[in-house]
Amino acid sequence: MKAVRLQIPADADYIDLVRNNLLGVATKLGFSFEEIEDMKVAVSEACSNAVLHGAKEETGGVIDVSFEFDTAGLVIRVVNYGVPFAYSDARKAASGIQGNHPSELRVGGLGIYLMEALMDEVEMSSDEQRTEVRLMKYRG
Amino acid sequence: MEPFRMEQQETNGQFVLKLGGELDLAVVPQLQAAVEPYLRRTDLAMVLDLEGLKYIDSTGIGIIVSILKTRDSVNAPFYVRHIPPTVRRLFDMTGLSGYLKEEAGA
Repeated sequence: MKAVRLQIPADADYIDLVRNNLLGVATKLGFSFEEIEDMKVAVSEACSNAVLHGAKEETGGVIDVSFEFDTAGLVIRVVNYGVPFAYSDARKAASGIQGNHPSELRVGGLGIYLMEALMDEVEMSSDEQRTEVRLMKYRG
Repeated sequence: MEPFRMEQQETNGQFVLKLGGELDLAVVPQLQAAVEPYLRRTDLAMVLDLEGLKYIDSTGIGIIVSILKTRDSVNAPFYVRHIPPTVRRLFDMTGLSGYLKEEAGA
């Protein structure tokens, strides 16, 4: 697999750069407008989680993003460092917006829900050192 | 890449906030600060005009849900208008569409 790599400070202000890079890579690979829009949201959700739960920019925290591709498709890895994140619990709790009345609405887990809805495959792993999200989109 | 922007108007009993560019985690505090003084104003209808919005994700959707809940709790009107197709797709996918009141607007 070939790869394009990017490292950003763990700060929300830089997530737009990840979307921009994704746009470049995915356009080069021939993905459709809609597929690219979907991947933009999914990769931003992974980066938002990394900013919110990983080592922070103030303490030198970074987020590593790689775009790896071959004829089968594109794999986007988003890696942050610091405390482990309980992804399996978060995935179980992930859902769309539910409730019979506005007062009952809750939005926790919406980011993970969207990643799963927008990508072909999502894998997450976390240990003491690093948390990694792998987002896959097949070609054609 | 289009930076986030906001423009607000208070006319004819409406507080209209026009959003443009990319709404993500980085600009959530800006949007919260802009709506905060109006959230509990029952003398004004609150309208979010999304015509210029190029991008939204779960953080932006989360703010819209919290506006919706607060406006409902004080029994005050809240509408959205001019939802772009890519934004609408995410509103549909997350289930938000079912809770929004759309207004055709000017």
